[in-house]
Amino acid sequence: MSTDTDDAREQLIELAAEFYDQFAGGDIPEMHLPTRTKSNIEYDESSQVWVYGDRTSTRSANSVRGARKLLKAIYTIEFLADQLGADRSSTLRELYYLSESWDNKEAHFSDQDESNQLIEDLEIVSSVTREDFHMRPEESGATLMGPLELREQTRRGDRVIHCQEDVGEGGYQIPNNPDTIEFLDHDADFVLCVETGGMRDRLVENGFDTDYNVIVVHLKGQPARATRRITKRLHDELDLPVTVFTDCDPWSYRIYGSVAYGSIKSAHLSEYLATPQAAFIGIQPEDIVEYDLPTDPLSDSDINALKNELEDPRFQTEYWREQINLQLEIEKKAEQQALASRGLDFVTDTYLPERLGEMDVI
Amino acid sequence: MTSLQSTLGDEPGIADELAANQREISIAEFFEKNKHMLGFDSGARGLVTAVKEAVDNALDATEEAGILPDIYVEIEEVGNYYRLVVEDNGPGITKEQIPKVFGKLLYGSRFHAREQSRGQQGIGISAAVLYSQLTSGKPAKITSRTQGSADAEYFELIIDTDTNEPEISTEKTTSWDRPHGTRIELEMEANMRARGQLTDYIKHTAVVNPHARIELHEPSGSFKAERATDQLPAETEEIRPHPHGVELGTVIKMLGATDSHSLSGFLREEFTRVGKKTAEKVLDNFRDRNFGREMAWQPPQPQDEADVEQAVSEATANKSKEATEAFAGEIAERVAARDRLAHHELREIAGEVADEISEDHGTFGDAVQENAVEAAWAAITENKDADCYRLVDDATSTRKDEATIEALSQRIAAKFDDDRNRLTRAELEQYVARGADMTQERDDVSVGETARENIVTEFWATMKTVPDDVPLAREVADDRNTTRDLVAAMRETDIIAPPTDCLAPITDELVEAGLKKEFDADFYAAATRDAEVHGGDPFIVEAGIAYGGEIPAEGSIDVMRFANRVPLVYQRGACATTDVVKRIGWRNYGLDQPGDSGLPNGPAVVMVHVASTNVPFTSESKDAIANVPAIEDEIELAIREAARELKSYLNKQRSAAKRRKKQDVLATILPEMATKVADVTGREPPNIDAALARIMNNVQVSRVSENGSVKLVVENHSSRSEDLDVTDIVSAEPSDLSEGTVIEMDGEWFVKWSPTIPGGETAALEYSVDSEATFDLDVSGVETAKLTVEK
Repeated sequence: MSTDTDDAREQLIELAAEFYDQFAGGDIPEMHLPTRTKSNIEYDESSQVWVYGDRTSTRSANSVRGARKLLKAIYTIEFLADQLGADRSSTLRELYYLSESWDNKEAHFSDQDESNQLIEDLEIVSSVTREDFHMRPEESGATLMGPLELREQTRRGDRVIHCQEDVGEGGYQIPNNPDTIEFLDHDADFVLCVETGGMRDRLVENGFDTDYNVIVVHLKGQPARATRRITKRLHDELDLPVTVFTDCDPWSYRIYGSVAYGSIKSAHLSEYLATPQAAFIGIQPEDIVEYDLPTDPLSDSDINALKNELEDPRFQTEYWREQINLQLEIEKKAEQQALASRGLDFVTDTYLPERLGEMDVI
Repeated sequence: MTSLQSTLGDEPGIADELAANQREISIAEFFEKNKHMLGFDSGARGLVTAVKEAVDNALDATEEAGILPDIYVEIEEVGNYYRLVVEDNGPGITKEQIPKVFGKLLYGSRFHAREQSRGQQGIGISAAVLYSQLTSGKPAKITSRTQGSADAEYFELIIDTDTNEPEISTEKTTSWDRPHGTRIELEMEANMRARGQLTDYIKHTAVVNPHARIELHEPSGSFKAERATDQLPAETEEIRPHPHGVELGTVIKMLGATDSHSLSGFLREEFTRVGKKTAEKVLDNFRDRNFGREMAWQPPQPQDEADVEQAVSEATANKSKEATEAFAGEIAERVAARDRLAHHELREIAGEVADEISEDHGTFGDAVQENAVEAAWAAITENKDADCYRLVDDATSTRKDEATIEALSQRIAAKFDDDRNRLTRAELEQYVARGADMTQERDDVSVGETARENIVTEFWATMKTVPDDVPLAREVADDRNTTRDLVAAMRETDIIAPPTDCLAPITDELVEAGLKKEFDADFYAAATRDAEVHGGDPFIVEAGIAYGGEIPAEGSIDVMRFANRVPLVYQRGACATTDVVKRIGWRNYGLDQPGDSGLPNGPAVVMVHVASTNVPFTSESKDAIANVPAIEDEIELAIREAARELKSYLNKQRSAAKRRKKQDVLATILPEMATKVADVTGREPPNIDAALARIMNNVQVSRVSENGSVKLVVENHSSRSEDLDVTDIVSAEPSDLSEGTVIEMDGEWFVKWSPTIPGGETAALEYSVDSEATFDLDVSGVETAKLTVEK
């Protein structure tokens, strides 16, 4: 059992002891959590990421709902403490099903959203990450490909892996807890995070990672925590510039936002997950005009999302206001694959070198 | 047309032939063919209707005599027929009356009375007799004993349907164990398929007649409703009809029968709420309709050419110069003093002046006056064009140009061409319409409906009621048209509402008592509205609601309908009461109502009672109340009044249920949570009572005793103030009380403390007592669900 594990267990039991003291003091057990809404995240100057503000909500046992939530919390605390004690791990989905085996019906989760949310709550109040609770998501993490050598602690011992030479076409699979990885050596100039699988494959097929010494990280849509964590570590530990390459629509900007600034749901972990220095390559609304890309019209929900982003504290910069307003004006969006309209090599031969050049990355 | 006439002409005998087949139909014969109109359309229904008629009569008879009703109903199967017996303890019926009451349709004491009673037409019970004789062929057997008589009278009779007269087959005296009362026995073809309606009828009758004892025995069961009160319904006063509620035919009949000579006397004597002033108002309205009004013109002004004085003096012949001057001068002066004057006013002036100057100047005879009036009137009306112009101008919108108004007013003015300028409103309307049509035609300017109406109103208001003598009562009686004018005048006159002492509402307390007697429910509410008037008949609506308890929760609620204390059991869907219940939004009052309209669902019964001197029914069988807006409105208000009480009751119930549920859930969750917390932390389970009390907004009373000092602490965790009575009974004498009092009783000391504790506050009582003393803590004043006592 590592010290980290001990520490996590300690924190959980500390939480239970707080409830105990509230009971014993004749008080109603309660738990204070930061309000997890867009209006309650603020920019932290020192760490340059977005974190929760001062507003908190109270989960108290003085209502039936609140009491049920706290009962579930204490059952989950017990489960996590036992899991850490036995050095086991489980997935979020397993936790949801596991609750069915608890003797008290009131403690059963009604759906997985509830158990997921509870784990997030516990992360916040205990300041321990989910990974340290030994909880992992159901889906495996994304992949990366590039001139990087690392050592991963696996259950079958340590492995040293070169992320170009020792992996197949699919690349290196990022583990659920990237903190088990140690970077050994690299030959990379920068990191390129790609939203879609198709574009990632295109870059690899065109040899972009070798031509430009790039570590290509596949985000797989909205990036998992492990993906964001390893991106941050690549930046912090190897001092590599991070760039993000996505579609040109409001949802993709949010993907960039969560890589760079952190997400609203996990703002308590922003310092651990966000890479504020990450730069947005595109596709920018400006590119649609400049490269005359094939487009789709904006739907109503797209327009709403763009307008929301204009209000989102994370997008309050000159650059984003300009781009979003431009997009609202032209009422168009485009996918990364739209670049193929200029030929399969256009993205690697022209678009990326041009954009990266403008951004002073190459 | 031609061909038909020629055909008829070919057969000259047909009219005679037809005439030979035409004959008078007796009322009994008519109803024999139209049984359904009286509620005897089937065997099942016939039996219910017969019971209803007999029981209604019995209740009316006993109440009228001030006797608490004891009613016995028995239905028995006898061969192919059913035998119905209804007995009451009423005052009995005299020997002479019995055959008529039971053996003659439309014989009754109530039809002409304006008083709330169950029966009215005098059809009901004799129709039952008729039905029984038609279906079984057996006569009705009636026994009746009047108070104080030694024997009872016994009759067997049927109704002769040709003559509508009783046909007595047996008549004798007999002995009867009841000291007074009436018993009727009928045999009829029937079945018990309408048992539901029958028991409903009896049961509902018991609800609205809590002063009655009613017993029902039928082939498959018995029902007995005991008296819930000894209080008879308030005696009702018979009232005369209200002028707003009478029909033309009734007025003609009343005029024929009245002893009053004058119309004014007739109005005052025969109607309620009509005094001298009201009668005069009615008669003025009558004059307007009957005689019309006279146009009042502005007298000539100084600048006008017309000169009344000159006209009169020229028309006065054979009088001295001074006399003529005095006569004409005085008339002209008085005319000029008026703003406007009508022909009859001018005549009056002429008469007055003639009288006044007769002393100095000798008599001015009728002929002279007549001439003077004619001449003066000609002068006055000379300027009628200008006068009409002013009136039309005032009445029409400013958008009409002068020329149009000029043309229109001249046309109207031209219509006033008779010598007195007298016309009815209808004639005035015609004049205006014709003038307007002409203007439209000739000048191509439209004069709309509103403008025409406004002009008519303006002129009519300017015209004056004439002082002509109204005809005498008997003269009016002979003339249908004049009577129609009188009825219309009565209707249009404002007259205060009829008195309401002719009504006997059940009263809300007794409605509740009645519901309590028949329904084992958790909650009862009732409301009695103030009296209102519909068509000259006063009415009162009452409503009651019973909820919960043994009332079945499935399906829609029951609506009990009553009219003058009589339950209505048929034609529920056609009744105004049901319509009103359906259109109320019951969700507001805490009852489930699928689709937000229609009968609500749930364990509830709604009753509605309409009491009136004349309940408007949809048909002769009196099954459903007609949709009269004034009555519907009152029904709705009464139901809503009772429903509001239901709502607040249900709200309280629901919040109590919610509190109980919360307590149940928290009482299981919190201990489990405490156990888990103890498990995880590896400590002893914590005491959670204080937390529990606080969570449940409870009032927590705790008693802590240490070394002979006792502390009673009351913590009010709720949001509102609580008044408690805390009593600690100890076995030794307490001392040093910080609050409260001590009373000793049989070696025990009662420490009494009645604190008032605002929401969220805590109060404490401390005292000293021997630490060995036993105690018994009792807390009251707070509902048990909210109280936690820790000893």
